Amino acid sequence: MNTVELQNITKTFGKHTAVDSLSLAVPEGTVYGFIGPNGSGKTTTLRMIMNILYPDSGLIQIFGEQLQRACTDRIGYMPEERGLYRKMKVRELLRFYGELKSGRKINSEVDLWLERLDLAEWANKKVETLSKGMSQKVQFIATIVARPELIILDEPFTGLDPVNAEAIKDVVLELQDQGATVIFSTHDMNVAEKMCDFIFMIFKGKNVLDGTLASIQDKYGSDTIRIRTDDGVAALQSLKGVEKINDYGQVQELRMAPDCDPQEILAAIMARTRITSFDIVKPSLHEIFLRIAGPEAREVNHAQDTQAYKARI
Amino acid sequence: MRKILRLIKREYKAAVKTKGFIIGLVLAPIMMSGGIIAFALLKDRVDTTGKRVAIVDRSGVIAKALVQAAENRNTKEIYDQETGKKTKPAYLFQVVEPDEEDPEAQRLELSNRIRGGEFHAFLEIGPEVVHPGADMEASRIAYHAKNPALDDLRRWIGWPINNHLRQVRLADAGVDESAVKDLFVWANVDGLGLASVDEETGGIKGAQRASEVQAIIVPIVMMFLMFLMVMMSVPGLLQSVMEEKTQRIAEVLLGSIKPFEFMMGKVLGGVAVSLTSSAVYIVGGIFVIRYMGFEKYIPYHILPWFFVYMVLAIVMLGAMSATMGSMCSEPKDAQSLTFMTIAPAMICMFVYFPVAKEPMSSFATWVSLFPTCTPFLMLLRQVTPAGIPFWQPWVGLLGILTFTVLFVWAGGRIFRVAILMQGTPPKMSNMIRWAIRG
Repeated sequence: MNTVELQNITKTFGKHTAVDSLSLAVPEGTVYGFIGPNGSGKTTTLRMIMNILYPDSGLIQIFGEQLQRACTDRIGYMPEERGLYRKMKVRELLRFYGELKSGRKINSEVDLWLERLDLAEWANKKVETLSKGMSQKVQFIATIVARPELIILDEPFTGLDPVNAEAIKDVVLELQDQGATVIFSTHDMNVAEKMCDFIFMIFKGKNVLDGTLASIQDKYGSDTIRIRTDDGVAALQSLKGVEKINDYGQVQELRMAPDCDPQEILAAIMARTRITSFDIVKPSLHEIFLRIAGPEAREVNHAQDTQAYKARI
Repeated sequence: MRKILRLIKREYKAAVKTKGFIIGLVLAPIMMSGGIIAFALLKDRVDTTGKRVAIVDRSGVIAKALVQAAENRNTKEIYDQETGKKTKPAYLFQVVEPDEEDPEAQRLELSNRIRGGEFHAFLEIGPEVVHPGADMEASRIAYHAKNPALDDLRRWIGWPINNHLRQVRLADAGVDESAVKDLFVWANVDGLGLASVDEETGGIKGAQRASEVQAIIVPIVMMFLMFLMVMMSVPGLLQSVMEEKTQRIAEVLLGSIKPFEFMMGKVLGGVAVSLTSSAVYIVGGIFVIRYMGFEKYIPYHILPWFFVYMVLAIVMLGAMSATMGSMCSEPKDAQSLTFMTIAPAMICMFVYFPVAKEPMSSFATWVSLFPTCTPFLMLLRQVTPAGIPFWQPWVGLLGILTFTVLFVWAGGRIFRVAILMQGTPPKMSNMIRWAIRG
């Protein structure tokens, strides 16, 4: 069963189409990653799932039912911008958010989570005294304390140090093990690759990628060479059959042209320098993201748009 | 409803647990009644330094009598009879011969002596003051001082001068003053209410003397208390909603509650705070007034109306204030809109005096039936001893209920759109569009 289903959702703000005929299905008990450049429609989509914004057209189903207010009591939502009452004490605030959502006293759960995320000694402190990372953890607890069946996290790891990010990641995966469905948006492709069962990319309001990491990578094929040489990127310039070079300093990634033989590229590089490692790999999520939404792709898109416009007139 | 109640509880606790609320609870009535208290405390603190006045009497008949009257006063009236302590200043008159050749120069000279501190004032009495003719200037009594408008001495002078003038005129007419002793007795007009039938005995109940306390002070106090309660909640809602919007708390809350529930939770939280404050003021006020023995002035029959009006006024104006708060994205937006939230109440307060003075006039009736004014002006009229027709408060209540529903409905529609909109300055056109389209 799908926990969330969107069918041809469109949302416009004035003349700007934020989400354009978007369809999506999030299976129950999965971790679903939303990726996409800034302003692509991620937050708008999440807000529509939360019934905070209403779509102009299309259908949203949550837990197999048409979206209605009662559904959102079963959803925990952490928006991108953190929203906490600065003058409230941490424990009091968490009780308020939890009770608002669940309608029952949740004192023991609050204490449990404060202990779990190393915030017990801050329980009686005002929110305004917390650091940014601590505030983020408090916001995270506020999202999950009522034990929601669907958890929506908008950029949950932004601003967290590795220790706290790891702690939140562990909790997310633990909640998934307990049956919760998790949707989170992120700009961190490593996190998306490692945590998500499914990855969904939205670009200019449209669904441009949707599936498991493996299925997405399969779509792009093994067209990438990851190479390490004595002379670095200097030895890789102007190679026949190489469309693009991504230089990461110690390692370089070469994108091969279609129908190109990697053996020929290997031979050409060996003639220039000594190779210490040479792997033919599938493109990373980061690379795929750039291919869809990077400057190069935008130039292509712009050229296509211009041609289409000229054809119309 | 559960969620609204939970939000009301949070808003209430957040408001009443602050030091600001406690201080405000104490300070607000002190500030409102500060003028009265200060007046009561300071009214006996008068400057008892003698006041010297020059008299230029061109009639030749007043100066002597005035000096005599002042001496009598200085002997009998300026000392406390029990303690012997001086409580008022002595009035010391000095007769100055009129300068008939250059009266303007004499006026300037006396004015300069006042400026120099030698005199407090000078009095110039016209030559025809006893029998005024066509020339008004010739019969004028002119009092010159630095601040003549609020001068007690000027007010006192009028009585001895007029008393002596009457005596002179009677004498000139050949009438023996002793034959008409009651000639100068002033006849007062007593203000009384209306006679009525006593509900217990069935007999006729005599009219009660109308007091200024019942006619003016009690109604105005009740109306200002209402204004204070509204001001305690309504403008703060705008600021509070704007802060929750800009700090993104609104988005978190909207993940759990509907925008309408959010708005009503905020507004009803404000109502709860004002109910608490008003209960403290009213119970405390009744206790103090009863202790002082003025229970007859407490309008018990109006208290239910007071609370009903207060709740509706705060819901109506609070919904407007919260809506405007939802449209603000930065403090300067809020500054410009705060006045609009209090304007409906302020405008009603501007016209309270003519309404209090003539509560049965058609102006008072119509203005008090205007829904944003009803909680203030209808209440004011209801407290006056004259009373108002039975139907008027009910019609007023219907009007305010209608406006409250309208404000809450439109406010909820605007609030839903505006609360998530960042960086868009508040515009009337947007408000109207969102209220209509939702």
